Amino acid sequence: MTKRGPLPGTLDLLILKAVSLGPQHGYGVLLRVEQITGQALDIEQGALYPALYRLEHEGAIESEWGTSDNNRKAKFYRLTALGRRRLKQETAGWESYTAAMAAALRVRPEEV
Amino acid sequence: MARWRSFFRGLLERGQVEREMSQEMEFHLQARAEDLIRRGMTLPEALRQARIEFGGVERYKEEGRESRGLRLVDEVRADLRYAWRQLAKAPSFTLLAVAILAIGIGANTAVFSTVNAVMLAVLPVHDPGRLRHLEWSAKKDDFRKSYNGGGWVNSAGEHIRWSVSYPVFQYLRTHTTVFSELSTFGNSSQMNVTIQGHAELRQGLMVSGDFFRMLGTAAYRGRILSVEDAQPGVSPVAVLSYGFWEHRLGAGAEALGQTILVNGAPASIVGVLPKGWCGIDPGACPDLFLPLANMDAMRNPESWYYEVMGRLKPGVAEERARAETEALIDRAIATYRAAGSYEAPRIGLEPAAKGLNGLRSQLTDPLTVMSWAVGAILLIACANIAGLLGARSAARQREIGTRLALGAGRGRLIRQLLVESLLLAALGTLAGIALAYATGDSIVRLFLGDRTLGISVAMNLRVLGVSAGLCFMTAILFGLLPALQATRLDTAAAMKGSGPAAERSRLVTAKGFIALQVAITLMLVLGSAVFLRTLINLYAEPLGFRPENLLTFQLNPTLNGYKDQRLLNFHEDVVRRLGAIPGVRSASMSRWGILSGSATRDSVNLPGQKPVPVMTHYVAPRFFETVGFSLLAGRDVEWSDREKSEPVLVINQALAQQLFGSESPLGRVVEVGGKCTIVGVAANTKFDSLRRAAPPTVYVPFRQEREHSMTYVLRSAMEPKALVPAVRRVVESVDPNVPPYEVRTQTERIGEDVRKDRVFALLFTAFGSMALILASLGIYGTLAYQVARRTPEIGVRVALGASRGAVAAMMMREEAAPVAVGLLVGIGGALEAGKFVESMMFGLKPTDPVTVVGAAGALLLSAVAAGWLPARRAASITPMQALRYD
Repeated sequence: MTKRGPLPGTLDLLILKAVSLGPQHGYGVLLRVEQITGQALDIEQGALYPALYRLEHEGAIESEWGTSDNNRKAKFYRLTALGRRRLKQETAGWESYTAAMAAALRVRPEEV
Repeated sequence: MARWRSFFRGLLERGQVEREMSQEMEFHLQARAEDLIRRGMTLPEALRQARIEFGGVERYKEEGRESRGLRLVDEVRADLRYAWRQLAKAPSFTLLAVAILAIGIGANTAVFSTVNAVMLAVLPVHDPGRLRHLEWSAKKDDFRKSYNGGGWVNSAGEHIRWSVSYPVFQYLRTHTTVFSELSTFGNSSQMNVTIQGHAELRQGLMVSGDFFRMLGTAAYRGRILSVEDAQPGVSPVAVLSYGFWEHRLGAGAEALGQTILVNGAPASIVGVLPKGWCGIDPGACPDLFLPLANMDAMRNPESWYYEVMGRLKPGVAEERARAETEALIDRAIATYRAAGSYEAPRIGLEPAAKGLNGLRSQLTDPLTVMSWAVGAILLIACANIAGLLGARSAARQREIGTRLALGAGRGRLIRQLLVESLLLAALGTLAGIALAYATGDSIVRLFLGDRTLGISVAMNLRVLGVSAGLCFMTAILFGLLPALQATRLDTAAAMKGSGPAAERSRLVTAKGFIALQVAITLMLVLGSAVFLRTLINLYAEPLGFRPENLLTFQLNPTLNGYKDQRLLNFHEDVVRRLGAIPGVRSASMSRWGILSGSATRDSVNLPGQKPVPVMTHYVAPRFFETVGFSLLAGRDVEWSDREKSEPVLVINQALAQQLFGSESPLGRVVEVGGKCTIVGVAANTKFDSLRRAAPPTVYVPFRQEREHSMTYVLRSAMEPKALVPAVRRVVESVDPNVPPYEVRTQTERIGEDVRKDRVFALLFTAFGSMALILASLGIYGTLAYQVARRTPEIGVRVALGASRGAVAAMMMREEAAPVAVGLLVGIGGALEAGKFVESMMFGLKPTDPVTVVGAAGALLLSAVAAGWLPARRAASITPMQALRYD
């Protein structure tokens, strides 16, 4: 299977999901996204940061400086209440969208 | 919300945000490298791989900034920096433009801060929006015998009046269902106030006990007046304004409880009002407030002396309130007049949030004219700077062409040029606000002199907001057109140094700006000519008397209860003593001062003739001699012309002519009130105002009429003001509680009479010269630029044999058309505008040909002068210079 980039708009959703599983620094978010997508997605790693800053600017996540596993200073992101609502909404939206797409793609000629 | 917080954090802690971004990405790269090493890579390999996987650090940082909304800020900041450098590179242009704008915006800000204070400011009282001021009008108002108070004539020509009688007010207050509070007050009136033995004339206001409660005003010290203070038999009290308390009583706490004499009667001070609180009339700040109680006039339902203000109950409809009040006033009148024997007045309830409108109506015209004038100045300033900018952007053509060729968006370049204009406008606005702040309330003072007003002219948010709006507007006005033109370039042509099409359109715009400036300037110059000639005409009016060395002042002993014989004796006593002061040649008095703007109107009846309307003056003996009126025939008024003696008159020539033609009027009997014998004829002289020709006038011995205050006049052998201390001593020796007031020389009085005309002449001369200078600068700049552009062409012409005169004439022709167009448009505009100021003119019409031609000539002359220098430079160009050019 070839790796492909995320569909437009899905990166934000993936970041929210990754952060919702527990506070993470930027690199950690990347690892977790790779982990939960089964390494199926490929993004240039730097592209994560503009997305993180946009989400923080919009108030969906907030950040705080802390210490990483190997004792280095790192910036940790955490979901805000606003972010939690947004994750729920966008997940629901995504699910209904994929369900519709899946149903549409399953249709056989005789069902039309 | 989160966005704003994050945006401002980005703006204010920019360094911090940038540092964190770098740290964060650095951490990412290191963590990734460590992971890669764990998978077996060497350190250099791992670091390289981490960077590859990350992508461009700087690119993502930039995207990150954009995510935070900081990119626009960055760009505007860069624009500003660039604009600042551009302006700093041409300091003389920048200084000139900022100075021009500062004058334009400063003048507008100063005028608007005045308009704001006079026209728009709301009274500093509780919930002013529900205050209503009662007004009435009636075709036949015989339900009142006497009236005391203000009024005005509305646009339909009806007389609107404000005062009602106290019993009518009481009836209204008892029965109203639409007002939650209703109170009344007398006219702001002059009172003789004696404090610690020293008497002076102050402004006082008599108010009903609930007046302050209605306005929701609390005392600064002590207490306000209450309803109990207005009850009969209560010892009289007074409340002082903050200013009076501060200036006259040194702001001392011991002032409370102190007893002062008001018109000779004691009253004790019970309170001081808050600082800057002046009541309900923006045009006056009373020094003291007294309870309206125990006045004879209050008992008479036919003495309509008191104004009414009330606070509408919430939710009451305007029309219902008006209709009910109208019905109640009708019923109140019916309590003393038989029903059907009178016509009930129509009632209006004027919103009074801004207080009484006397000051507003007085200043509406002057402020409107001034607003137009300063607006015109600003327009000229904009046209001027637009012209300068146009020339500058032409000089920057190559820079702009290069940037366009390199792919800069046109919108981006326009924004850049507009930011430059905005920066210029902002600098000009800041300087302008400083100028306006420095002028303070001097515009109001110019028109009104030193009287105490109920308003303060100050910078506030509204004024600053308008200035900021002007700043943006001017930036767009003068910046947009040049910016659009500068960027509408044929790139290739721009690189070569000239683009015929762009050049032509720029030239047309530049000429348009010149025409605009000339037109507006002509209007302002014509305005200054008109007002200057008005002033000159006024001063050239023959007065009929000698105003030099005359000292005048007023005494009003009636306030202290003087009347009838005692009053007349008081005046006679003072005049006789004044005449004995060393240095006084002669002393006399009249009811109203000469050129004070006041007069008593009456009519003279001669059997068999129509009544002749006249002005009546009550005078003491030697009045004519003292002021310098000439007595043409008969005798002066004498001390023997008294209450019981034969009533006599002196009349002026105009009246004599009208009544008797060429016959001698001496000894003839006419009827003025009663039968009087004419004993003298005086020359025609101005009396109430410079603007009016001498009307038919009668002079009556003051003792033959029981009169009120008198205006004293002394002819001095020395500087008239030097007499003042002696005059005060004399008056004090007669009664220390009757203070002299309005102590002025007659020359000062004349200055006061023409104050408005002086102010307009002064302001328009200033505006006109400013506009003239700006327009000349504009013409000079545009033409000089043309000469520079056309140097090669001129060189060729000269080489082909064109004479210097022909070259100069060719350049001068460039400006001829726009100047001519501007003059024509300006004359048309001025004739139109002239209709609005015609009532302010004296001795000429707006269409006065001498003035119009003179103003146009003056403008033409300065246009020629402004064009002369560049034209001469053009004429001196040699073919060699032209070859070396560029």
